[in-house]
Amino acid sequence: MDDDGLVARVAAGDDTALRELFSRHAPWLAARLRAVLPAAEVEDVLQETFLAVWRGAGGYRPCGAAGGWLWGIARRQAALLLRRRGPAAAVLPGEVTAGARRAADPVELALARADLAAAVAALGPPGAPEREVWRLLYVEDRPVAEVAALLGVPPGTVKSRAHRARRRLRAALRAGAAAEGGSR
Amino acid sequence: MSDTDAGRPPGAPASWDTAPADVDLGRVWTGVAAQVWRRDPGWVERLAGRLLRSPGLARALVATPSLLLAWIIATLVVLAAGAVATLGTGTPYVALFAPALAAAGVAYAYGPGIDPAWELSRSVAVGDRMVLLVRALAVFGLNAALGLAASAASGAAAALTFGWLVPMTAACALALAAATLANSANVGVAAGVAGWAIMVLAGRATLGQYTAAVTDSALVLPYLLFAVCCCAVALFATRISRGTS
Amino acid sequence: MNVDITDLTRRFGRTQAVAGVSLQAGAGVFGLLGPNGAGKTSLLRMMATVLPPTSGRLRLLDRDAGSYAPRREIRRRLGYLPQNLGYYPGFTVAEFVEYFALLKDMPPGRVPRAVAAAIEQVGLGDKARAKLGTLSGGMLRRAGIAQAIVNGPELLLLDEPTAGLDPEQRVAFRALLRDLGQRATVIVSTHLVEDVGAACTEVALMDAGKVVFHGTPDELIARGEGTGAAGDAPLERGYSAVLAAARSTTAVA
Repeated sequence: MDDDGLVARVAAGDDTALRELFSRHAPWLAARLRAVLPAAEVEDVLQETFLAVWRGAGGYRPCGAAGGWLWGIARRQAALLLRRRGPAAAVLPGEVTAGARRAADPVELALARADLAAAVAALGPPGAPEREVWRLLYVEDRPVAEVAALLGVPPGTVKSRAHRARRRLRAALRAGAAAEGGSR
Repeated sequence: MSDTDAGRPPGAPASWDTAPADVDLGRVWTGVAAQVWRRDPGWVERLAGRLLRSPGLARALVATPSLLLAWIIATLVVLAAGAVATLGTGTPYVALFAPALAAAGVAYAYGPGIDPAWELSRSVAVGDRMVLLVRALAVFGLNAALGLAASAASGAAAALTFGWLVPMTAACALALAAATLANSANVGVAAGVAGWAIMVLAGRATLGQYTAAVTDSALVLPYLLFAVCCCAVALFATRISRGTS
Repeated sequence: MNVDITDLTRRFGRTQAVAGVSLQAGAGVFGLLGPNGAGKTSLLRMMATVLPPTSGRLRLLDRDAGSYAPRREIRRRLGYLPQNLGYYPGFTVAEFVEYFALLKDMPPGRVPRAVAAAIEQVGLGDKARAKLGTLSGGMLRRAGIAQAIVNGPELLLLDEPTAGLDPEQRVAFRALLRDLGQRATVIVSTHLVEDVGAACTEVALMDAGKVVFHGTPDELIARGEGTGAAGDAPLERGYSAVLAAARSTTAVA
């Protein structure tokens, strides 16, 4: 049964469907949350997320994007938890904010980091062309000529891959936001 | 294992392996399932739990077969029919029905005849005698209240309205004693109803009216003594050494 | 010592179901073997405080099982699975386990999590809200095990727990037993010899109300070696050898 069907069953009060949803989605949700939260908080957020799913499954409109909907709920629950416990719970030791721009809301910063990590994953596995270009050009901040030499491709290819990467990232981030908005 | 969950439960899907190693998904799921599977006690059970100072006893009370809605409705229907019939014919049917109904209710409150998990119930901390006592009293009280309401509604004389409470006590005690002695709720019902029917018919035979069993004040003391004896029998029958070999 | 029994007897009319049993058991999994009618169930029922002994001393969890208040305290820490598990067909698995958790005086705040954990541990997670009347025999047995373990008992008494379980479930069950035996005294009464070998650290063999063997499974195997006793497996041969020896001595005496 696909995810949309499962959510519909959960809305109808079927707890075995919730169990199946949990076994399918909790692992990757946990991994994504773990990027910004310590393990104990991840467990609490996951628990609240799936309880929210149990109670609010009726509000899901079947559109094949159950994963995005779930992540939206998890994100909301994480924000709630962080606001309750204070932003110190979110910042992992050793993380440095590149650019040192003071975020107005540390909670949002932490969650934005998780969103970005997810969107970068949409570029493909590590080593894929767009992802490599992203890493070298934007994360490591190298000039185009150097990236072209490292990858062994002409600079024009580097620029077009970078363009594709930016487009995909934009779409992924937008899709994440849309999923959250579409679930009321 | 109540608080320290044993990690990944048997049969947990392999997909859980992709989760971060320090996140215990088993523990998370137990927390979710705990809220999803729990039964929310209604206000009756919560109140009973506070009054009886034992949530277990309150849950046992709420699970009484003769306190289920279906049973209560059936009792109400019979009593209402009796009240209506009384209004029509003048014979106080409520006073005649109520003791038998209560006796049946008490017999069906507890016991191996109706409790399939009888053996297990005898190994738990909330003692089965407590459960029996609380259930029997609750059934008795409910039947008394319903009967009084029906009796008052049927316009019977005050003596009749309250007079059947004592015979009802005796009939219930008889049903209880029989049920616990014979380990069967049906025997209890049969004994209680038959005993009451005999009293009513004997009253008719000796004093000329069906209600003699209820109104004859000379019977009050014998009824009460009989009830006490039956309770003693029930106590004896439920002593711990009772066990089907 | 969670179980300390001295010279326990139980008589029903003229039959001696248990004829003088002495036993001590601490943490671990303890197997109780024996043919039908050997008195295993009566012994287990006495340990579950469901049946009082006719004579002898019964101390459970360092308390005297004969007095009311200690007995109630024992029952809070006890888990019992009777041979004939009655159940309420209209209850769901979760309601059934929750009912007995409350009857064992568990604090209501701890009950939901404990119920969920117990149900998952016996592998009934996808049947938690199914009515008991719709379950198969093996699933019912597992529901019975769940109610026995829900209160995290220090003394767990299981009478024929693997009846109706298929081999895969039996393996999972033995793993569960080993895990429970680390913190509690688990006493398993069974006539399936292989259940004992896989999970138990100690074994007692009963016949005609008496204990005729008490030791480790390896010692039981050793008793069967070279005797030519009947049996397809080493444990079965040990079982037959001990029974035969016990019966021949009683015949002589």
